[in-house]
Amino acid sequence: MVELVPNLLRQEMARLAEQDARIDGRARFEGREIILETDCLYNAEGSAKVTMGKTVVYAGVKFEIRTPWPDRPSEGSLMCGAELRPVAHRKYEPGPPSPESIELGRVVDRGIRESGCIDMNSLCIIPGEKVWGVMIDIHVLSDGGNIFDACGLAAIAALRTAVVPAERFDVGEDYTLSVNGTPIMASFTRVGGRYIYDPCEEEELGGDERIHITIGDEGHLHSLQKGLRGVFTPQEFAEIFEVAQEKCAELRKIVAEKEAN
Amino acid sequence: MSQGRSGAEQRLVTPGMTIGSLSGMRVGSGAISQNDEIIATKLGWVRESNGTVSVDPINSPYLPRSGDLVIAHVAEVRNNLWFMDINGSFQGLLPMSLAPWKVEFGQARQHMDIGDAALARVQEVDECHNVVLTMKGVGLRRLSQGAVVEVPVNHLDRIRGDNNSNLDRMKDTSDCRIIVGENGRVWIDGDDNGISWTREALAIAKQHGHKKNFDSIMKKHEGSFTRKGDA
Amino acid sequence: MGGYGDVQLLRDDGLRLDGRKLDESRPVSIQAGILPAADGSAIVTHGLNVAVAAVYGPMEAHPRKIQRQDRAVIDVRYNMAPFSTSDRIRPGFNRRSREISKVTAEALESVVLVERFPRSKIRVEIEILAAEAGTRCAGITAASVALADAGIPMRDMIVGVASGKIEDTVVLDLDKAEDNYGQADLPAGILPNTGEIAFLQMDGDLSPEEFDLAMEYNFKAAKEIHEIMVDALKARYDGGDN
Repeated sequence: MVELVPNLLRQEMARLAEQDARIDGRARFEGREIILETDCLYNAEGSAKVTMGKTVVYAGVKFEIRTPWPDRPSEGSLMCGAELRPVAHRKYEPGPPSPESIELGRVVDRGIRESGCIDMNSLCIIPGEKVWGVMIDIHVLSDGGNIFDACGLAAIAALRTAVVPAERFDVGEDYTLSVNGTPIMASFTRVGGRYIYDPCEEEELGGDERIHITIGDEGHLHSLQKGLRGVFTPQEFAEIFEVAQEKCAELRKIVAEKEAN
Repeated sequence: MSQGRSGAEQRLVTPGMTIGSLSGMRVGSGAISQNDEIIATKLGWVRESNGTVSVDPINSPYLPRSGDLVIAHVAEVRNNLWFMDINGSFQGLLPMSLAPWKVEFGQARQHMDIGDAALARVQEVDECHNVVLTMKGVGLRRLSQGAVVEVPVNHLDRIRGDNNSNLDRMKDTSDCRIIVGENGRVWIDGDDNGISWTREALAIAKQHGHKKNFDSIMKKHEGSFTRKGDA
Repeated sequence: MGGYGDVQLLRDDGLRLDGRKLDESRPVSIQAGILPAADGSAIVTHGLNVAVAAVYGPMEAHPRKIQRQDRAVIDVRYNMAPFSTSDRIRPGFNRRSREISKVTAEALESVVLVERFPRSKIRVEIEILAAEAGTRCAGITAASVALADAGIPMRDMIVGVASGKIEDTVVLDLDKAEDNYGQADLPAGILPNTGEIAFLQMDGDLSPEEFDLAMEYNFKAAKEIHEIMVDALKARYDGGDN
């Protein structure tokens, strides 16, 4: 369902931008408070829940044993999918996965995969015969804006707490999945003409295009995605990339602190 | 609060709960009669006045009634009419003949386009919930500036207060024009500072509107207003 | 039902494997209003089951062919999240979830005052986040609380409960092992105030006497869980400072 964009909201966004203000009182690059919970889903081998303002997202990790690809006999696999089901918002309709769901899952997938935080060879059980397939499923329960960052955070936090269920599959003892890194996503939306970090629902409705940046522990880029109608300049990107470095480091600390407890 | 929602009279009920025996009482909104008993159909506070028992719901969808002043957004434009989103189950229809302008056939869009806001009145609601709107009447117009904020329909009374006392105080404090639509939308117009303060005041109403100490929370917020340059 | 009694489900002291008495329910906790984007919502934890429900509407019924001129339709989607079970579920509707969605919708249409909203639909989204036997019942309970939270008028709520039979003994609220190796399962949706039944399914083998006892247990559980539902709704709104 295409949401109606009130013209007064667009006008207000432009007016607020002139004053360098935001509709919910935040500074331009200020994020909402993040509540991260892990180990919160009984049947998942790793799980996380992220609450950011009105956004609520769960991620769960499951494992399966599969036959490796013939050309990569000792490599396991990683897959990350997202579901934007009608539970999450009035605007989501039932039916087969929407392009929006698929984009969301693939952007999160790329960030985690390309960071190399999972060594595919470590997922080998018997070369050429049995490898682990790791599946991260993300479930958006309430879309209150910026579900991309919430999903990215939930996915990596769930993965980092995952325990490989070897006993259940009769291939040895359970062990903690080895994850070498914490890739984090930071998203920016053009609102009232300039980019802001962590858009809320109204800002997404009254805003324009968005940019998602996933950054690894070393500060390297691992995935980028520009979505929705609109264009931006290299200078604009340079500015938000710098902010993204800072934001990703902050979120990485939240994950680390959660794990330390 | 008006309507006797104070002290011991407050009683919160859930759907299906027996409020009391029918015995000569009339059944108002939010309740039904079943086997000589009055049963709540909504989550809310029991109200008894003039022999009628009803439940003031805590949450409620907007159900348009004729005469309601509403704040609408244009969702669709045809040659001779507008379909307006009024925050209800169905869109309201504004025919060219009930617009405040003299509109040539095919020119509707030049007066009011998709996404535009308008102050309108519900002219008629038929049995099938079809809603006809009118913009003929004093003050009914296109809203070309200001901000529209959504609030729960059942909090409108509290936002207004007795004889609009709350609303008047909000207007005085923020120096904004404020119009409350029956459909849970509030239009605010003024300077940025005033709009943002009023937006916060409405958020407080949304969060605390059903509580006993709502008035004192609101008074505290009034004290927090600083005009630009004051601080 | 998995089959007959090769697995021991009752201990020598007469209690069940997890220490429950025959007529004892697993612990239930409920919270209302947990999904800010929805018009009404609830989360129900019933034993290890976690069910979330969101309500949207009433809104115009689309597509037109599902519209009823005289009342609202309730559009229920019961869905198990991929990570909700021990083996991952492939996303998407399956026959089981379609059936549960259908009978759940019909149960809810029996209590919601649907004639107040002609041509409308009320969307009820039930998402199972963790499954451990009894998800459809937890889903019905969650949906009822979410509908009340959304301000949808109902003549009663529905409580989802289940009894069953293990080792030739009727017990309340089967857990996963009891469901897998037991002899019967009798889930019901009970209207706590009128004592009517809006939802009923059963599979396995029950004598008429066993059925009566199982329903007696179900009514007892419905009363207990209803109190938790009421508390959850009141907790969201009651008092001056929460």
